[in-house]
Formats: sequence, structure tokens, C-alpha cells
Amino acid sequence: MINLLNTFLNGITSGAIYSLMAISMVLVWRSTRVVNFAQAGMALLSCYFGYEVVQRTGSFWIALPAAMLAGAIIAAVIEFGFMRILLKHSSQGPIASVGPIIATLGLLGLIRGVIGMVWGNADVAIDPPFSVVGFKVGENTLTFSPLKLLALVTVAIILLIITWLFQKTNLGLSLRASAHEPEISRLAGVKVDLVRTVGWALAGAAGAAAGMLQATTGSGGMNPDSLEFRLLLVFGFIAAVIGGLESMVGALVGGMVLGLVLAFVLTYVGGSLVFLTAFMLLLVLLLVRPQGIIGQRAGRRA
Amino acid sequence: MHKFKLNPVNSFFAFIALGLILVFVSGKFDDLVVYQGATVMMFVIAISSITLLTGYSGQVSLGHGAFLGVGGYAAAVTRNNYNLPIIVCIVIGVLAAAIAGALIGLSAARLSGPYLAGSTLALAVGLPSIVNRFDSLGGEQGLFFDVGAPPAFLGEGFSPYRWFFYAATLAMLVSLWGLRNVLNSRYGRTWRAVRGNDVAAQLSGVNIARSKILAFTLSAGLAGLAGVILAMTLGTVSPGVYPLALSFSLATGAVLSGINTLGGVMIGAVTLVAIPEIADSISHRLGGSEVLTTNLPGILVSALLILTVLFVPNGPVEQMRNTRNKKRVHAQR
Repeated sequence: MINLLNTFLNGITSGAIYSLMAISMVLVWRSTRVVNFAQAGMALLSCYFGYEVVQRTGSFWIALPAAMLAGAIIAAVIEFGFMRILLKHSSQGPIASVGPIIATLGLLGLIRGVIGMVWGNADVAIDPPFSVVGFKVGENTLTFSPLKLLALVTVAIILLIITWLFQKTNLGLSLRASAHEPEISRLAGVKVDLVRTVGWALAGAAGAAAGMLQATTGSGGMNPDSLEFRLLLVFGFIAAVIGGLESMVGALVGGMVLGLVLAFVLTYVGGSLVFLTAFMLLLVLLLVRPQGIIGQRAGRRA
Repeated sequence: MHKFKLNPVNSFFAFIALGLILVFVSGKFDDLVVYQGATVMMFVIAISSITLLTGYSGQVSLGHGAFLGVGGYAAAVTRNNYNLPIIVCIVIGVLAAAIAGALIGLSAARLSGPYLAGSTLALAVGLPSIVNRFDSLGGEQGLFFDVGAPPAFLGEGFSPYRWFFYAATLAMLVSLWGLRNVLNSRYGRTWRAVRGNDVAAQLSGVNIARSKILAFTLSAGLAGLAGVILAMTLGTVSPGVYPLALSFSLATGAVLSGINTLGGVMIGAVTLVAIPEIADSISHRLGGSEVLTTNLPGILVSALLILTVLFVPNGPVEQMRNTRNKKRVHAQR
């Protein structure tokens, strides 16, 4: 029974982090129609900025917003200085479908290399702000700790902010408009290019937050090749696709489903099958409901 | 003017001539260079498998390292458990990878663009961990893959590295010649038609799903061959032999070569082998700190990849062809 509860809570926690990552991929997809495989790399880079802030100030609470700010700036710079040029360059010919995907891969490699150059390839650790010792329920100690509770709360707060931004502000309206109908939005006076950069910046901030939480709730260390960020890369994508790549609610549901399924596989089947389960889940879902759990069937898929 | 055209027969002789030249040239170099030559040949096969899949059939795979792994492991397992002749092991490796490719292709045919890219990426990340599940696969340490001594007719004390190079070159020539002919056949035309406009192709009676699955199977088989050769040159198979970075390198090599032409496949392969060397000498000159040595190759490859996508998106060969055609048009005016 305690095992079941532990598995469930672990699943929810990691699922929440995957959701946040998936949301950042959805934001990028909605603003420029690119699946950004460098998103986890950008998150990792932001986390290193967060790590620097922790080193200087000793406070996680300053580091988290600082990392998110760094993530937003990194993403905006990449969108403005690189993706915009790339998408104009290679919008035709046989490269059109492959170019952006490959370019984000190159970006991932470049970011990893730069991190290795600046911070080295050894593990660095961000001290968790809360205890990692689990709550006690009667006799038993759960694996669910105050730190994981913090991760859940942080994700929830960020989701609320993003939802508010999208539903209640003018900026959100322009973001939604230019995602749906870029041409018409342009005619209606929306600065579509600028809005796209803002979309990327939001995605960068969300990804950075996911990265900071992943780095503290995981093994505690991070390095340019760390497993935690490979998890973010792959599971963020899978969660986004499970949700249909278009919808933020979908990304949330996708991340939670993925987190729970993987937690149960990890506890009851074995760690070596976790990645393969995620792959099978992705494949089955794409074959049964290519439009994602939430999301409407389009006339022609992308 | 009569133009010399490469049909299957005289391209066969052209490939034989290319093979003889390669063997002759390799005689001039020492064992280390020849050994790297074998790696180049492996990359040529692996990159051409991606060119076939992405450039001709229009499907993106970021996880081809997984198929190299399937091929390598299948060959190593049969070699270790049944001690079959090496050529049989190679064939089994290729077949195993092709079957895996067909299985993945069944679902891949229904996916497109970023969905397929992400799924294959997930496959490449996920498949290696399966070795920890079965004891017969040797876990993280992997398995030995001993191809035995060079055949007797090459003479006593023949360098094994040279023998790897000969075998890899032969495999490369056979697969490129075969691939060339397949691409110029009905199937090749079908793939290009589907890539160009799938609706139009379907209306002209092409079975799109079958064409895509066939391309995936063939590509995975080629990748399996490359995987066996890689295992052969290293003498071992393990998850570390087929890391995610390998899949990314292959995608990079394919883009550097020009994704939609087989003509430049050598460029990407040589670049992939040369870059660690170049990075080594640069970092040596800059003082040779450890940080520089570990990270410079990755940075160079990624930077080259990004520059290629930005400035020569169709690859150097196609670019040259286009420039030449433009000049010719100008001249005719």
C-alpha cells in the first residue's frame, strides 16, 4: 500500500516537471511550427546560470527567477538571431521538412559544447532549498519530500500564470491569434514576428523552470550529458505529442500520464524498460489518436 | 554531343575501378590511417542509409544508431553462440536490422516530420537500456565480437586493420552500387514521387505506405551492415558503441553530404572521421587543456551542421551542380 502511494506521488511529481517541459515545447511549436529538440539544452544552459546565482547569493529563491529570465533571454536571442533567418532560408526544397529539425539538433550540440567549455564536464550541484527527507505517515517514511511538494506547487503556479497570460491579457490574445492565423493577425495589426519571439521567450522561461526543478529533485547533480536532461529532452517531447502538440491542457495531461505510467513501470516492472515503455506509449498513441489525447482531428496532419 | 551515362553495367565497372584505386591508395598509408579508412567506409554506408530514407523517401530518422546497434548485436550474438562464419553473421546482422526497420516502418509510414523524428529519437534513447534486461546481451559491458584472423590467401601476418579496411570497402562498394541501382529503379522513382507530393503520387496509383515501409526496411538493413562493420573494427558491441551521439553524427553527416544526393556521401563520412583529429590538433596548439579536448569536436560538428543548414542547405554537391547550371544558362544567352 505504501509502495503504491509512493509510486503514485513520484509519478505525479515527475509528471508535473515533464508537463512543464512539454508546455515549453508546445509554446515553441505554436509560435513557429518548429519542434525544438534543443529545448532541453536551453533549459540546461539556464540552469547553469541559476547555479551561478546560487553560488553567489546562496538562495534558490533568487536563482529560480534568474534562471527563468536567463532562459527567456536565451530563447529570444535564438529565435531572433537564428531561427528567423533559418526559416526564411530553408522554407523551400527538399530540406524544408528536415532543416529546422536538424538545425535544432545542431543547436543542442553547440549548447552542450559551450556548457562543457565554460563549466566543465563534471557534475555541479544546486542545493535544494527544502529537505529531501520524505514526509512521515505513521510508521512509514514516504519518498515524497517537501522538495517534491515544492516542485508540484511551483509547476502549478507557473501554469496558472501562463493560463492567465494567455486567456486574460492582450499579449495572450496576440499569441493565440498569430498561432492560428498568422496572415490575418498581421493584417489586423499584430506584430507577428515580435509575438513569435515572445512565444519563444515564454517557452525558454518555462523550460528553465522545468530544468531547475529537474536538477534539484533528481540525482542533485547536473552535467552537459546528464541523464536528467536526456529525460527532459525525450519525455518533454513525448508528453507534448501525447497532448497533441497544440494544446497546453494536452501537454499537462500528457506529462501527467507519462509520469504516472513510467513511475508504475519503474516500481513494478524494472528500470531498464522505462525508456522503451515511453517509446511504445508514444507509438501506440500516435497510431490510435494521431491528434493527441486532446485536440481535434485536422484535415491533414503536419 | 554524346554524353557518357552510367548505366548499371558500366557503373559496376566504375565501382570496381573505385575499389581498386582505394586498395592501391591504402597500400601507401600506415595501419592507423587505414583503420580510420575502415571507419570512413562504415560512415559511408550508414550515411547513405539516411540519405535513402530522408533524401529520397522523405522520412526523418534521428535514431539510426539504434539500427546499427541491432545489426551489431545480432551479428555478435550469432558469432559468439554458434560460431558461424563471419559472412553469415554479417548477413544475419543485416537481416535483423532490416526486420527491426520493417517493424518500426509499419508505424513510421503513418507519421511525418517532427513526429517521426521524435519517435526515432525516443527509440535511440530507449533501445540501449534493453541490454540490461537480458543476460545474454552482456549488460553495459557488452559482448566481444571477434571476427578471427584475416583469411589465409592474404598471406601470413597480414595486418588485421588492413583486412578490416578491405572488408569495409567491399561492403561499401556493394551497398552503394546496389543502392544506386535501386534509386534509379521503379522504387526510387516511387520514393521521389511520394516525397515530392504524396497526394499526387497516390492518385497515380502508388501505394504510399508500402513505399515508405520498403524504404525504411532497406535503410535499416544498410544501417545494420554499418553496425556490424563498426562492431568489427572495434572488436566489441556495447551500448557505448552505439550512443545517442552516433545517431546525431549520422544525421549531421547526411546533411553535410547533401541530404538528397548520394554523390556527396563521402564528404560527410570523411568529415565525421576528420573532425576529432582536427579538433585534437587545434586544442593541442591552444595548450591542450582537458576541457577543450573533450568539447571542441562536438562544437565543431554542431557549428558545421548549423552553417550547412543555413548556407548550403542542399549540400555541397548539389550546390556546385546548381552554380554550374546557372553559369551554363548565362553562357547560352
